[in-house]
Amino acid sequence: MKEKLNKILKLDRRYLFVLLTLSIIIPIIKPIGIPSKSISTSVKDTYDFIEKMPEGSTIILSLDYDPSTAPELHPMAAAILKHTFKKNIKVIILTFIAGSGGLIDELVRTIPPQYSKEYGKDYVVLPYMANVLAALTQMASDIHSFYDKDINNKPLKDYEMMKNIKNYKDVAGVIGITGTALLDYWVVYVGDKYGVPILGGVTAISQVGYGPYLQKKQLKGLIGGMKGAAEYEKLISQPWKGTSGIDALNIAHILVIVFIIFSNIVLLILKFL
Amino acid sequence: MDTQVSVILGAFVASGLTLFIFSFLYKDNPFFKIAEHLYMGVGLAWHIQLTIYKIIIPKVWEPLKIAWQKGDTFTVWMTIIPTVLGITLVTQFIPKISWISRYGFTFLMGYAAGLALPAGLTTDFANQILGTIEPFANFFSLSLGKMVNAVIILIGTVSVLFYFFFSVEHKGVVKKISNFGIYFLMIYFGASFGNTVMARFSLLYGRFDLLVRYSQKEYFYATNWVIVGLLIYFIAEKLITNKLLKARA
Repeated sequence: MKEKLNKILKLDRRYLFVLLTLSIIIPIIKPIGIPSKSISTSVKDTYDFIEKMPEGSTIILSLDYDPSTAPELHPMAAAILKHTFKKNIKVIILTFIAGSGGLIDELVRTIPPQYSKEYGKDYVVLPYMANVLAALTQMASDIHSFYDKDINNKPLKDYEMMKNIKNYKDVAGVIGITGTALLDYWVVYVGDKYGVPILGGVTAISQVGYGPYLQKKQLKGLIGGMKGAAEYEKLISQPWKGTSGIDALNIAHILVIVFIIFSNIVLLILKFL
Repeated sequence: MDTQVSVILGAFVASGLTLFIFSFLYKDNPFFKIAEHLYMGVGLAWHIQLTIYKIIIPKVWEPLKIAWQKGDTFTVWMTIIPTVLGITLVTQFIPKISWISRYGFTFLMGYAAGLALPAGLTTDFANQILGTIEPFANFFSLSLGKMVNAVIILIGTVSVLFYFFFSVEHKGVVKKISNFGIYFLMIYFGASFGNTVMARFSLLYGRFDLLVRYSQKEYFYATNWVIVGLLIYFIAEKLITNKLLKARA
């Protein structure tokens, strides 16, 4: 008995990798549709913030993620963009992460046409900027002095929606979706300093660290990880990658919990044998 | 290149590199090494081109050229001075003149400290203290849930602060309070680790989702072909190794 249990504990970990692979791949090939009924308060706050925004308002959407965190953040960026367009809110998209170019391009290629939105009138995309601190502080006085041209190298002032936008006073809020610490920068250098409402979308890893900002309302709302993305997709009734990923995540989590419980039981038995 | 061909080629490269990296989970192999070195090389090249085309050309070369043509001496100097300060940082690599880099670092430190200190103190220090105390100003008008929350946050903050307070010896009441702080820290680490696992699985889901997409007909079954290729390699390698070992024996 003892030998057998010891053998189980020394099982080649590659078998576990195979089980984990199957637990994620099977729901992708054949979705199970495990219901996700709960909606986190911070996700609901983000949804409500956009929902209550008057039509024609402008927000800054800072998409600061690259392919390494895209599975978690891209679905939430898509969901936010869909929601803002549905509510006729104008969007200034910008980034401080150079690798986000292709992902932003994919979003603006696919989502605006679904809502008949026009570039320059309903949304603009600003080019990548290297110095985030300089950008955040300069935009407080004049956005056009820092971003004189858009991503297509055309003067920003020529676009209809940008004619009445000078600085943070002219935007209703900032939503920072990032896999880095850039959301902290928005809170510290823009939210607290200029009283601009800041909302965020972050990876599950960094979600826990934003608790104090949420509690103090320095962050008006937060979407965390793929679960948050799935919740937001549910709120706007537009299921996409966040929703489909939840099946795989649920099964993989159950598998890990089973592994942990099983190995602990084996260890306990071994202790008393 | 024909769009269809480039899409299929892209699918083979993406699924191939993903599977080459994953193949390390079975054992180290040349395909993993290829993918690893490619990643290093491409990553470095990407950063070099980024610095040239997104920073040096638009932030240094173009403003300098335009200002020079207009005869705007002020802008010329305002571009040259920070550029030279930036270049001084590179002297770190030449020991004999590395002292020059101090000028660049001095400006960097002054700028960063001046910007970060006041803002950080307000956001992360003063506001957080306020956030902990504020609910007690109107405690009895809060809902039961918010009351419990406020008390837990206060106890957690104080006990964790006690744990990191080393000017008093941790014994008696102080030890009890700081030990209580450990439980709060453990809960935080546990929640953080749980979320980390969830995030890692999300990334894994992202890669597998892509592999499944590239296993379809429109991508010429790219994933399937790469898996077959890797399997042939591992089986052949095993057979050859076994044969060699037998021959030696």
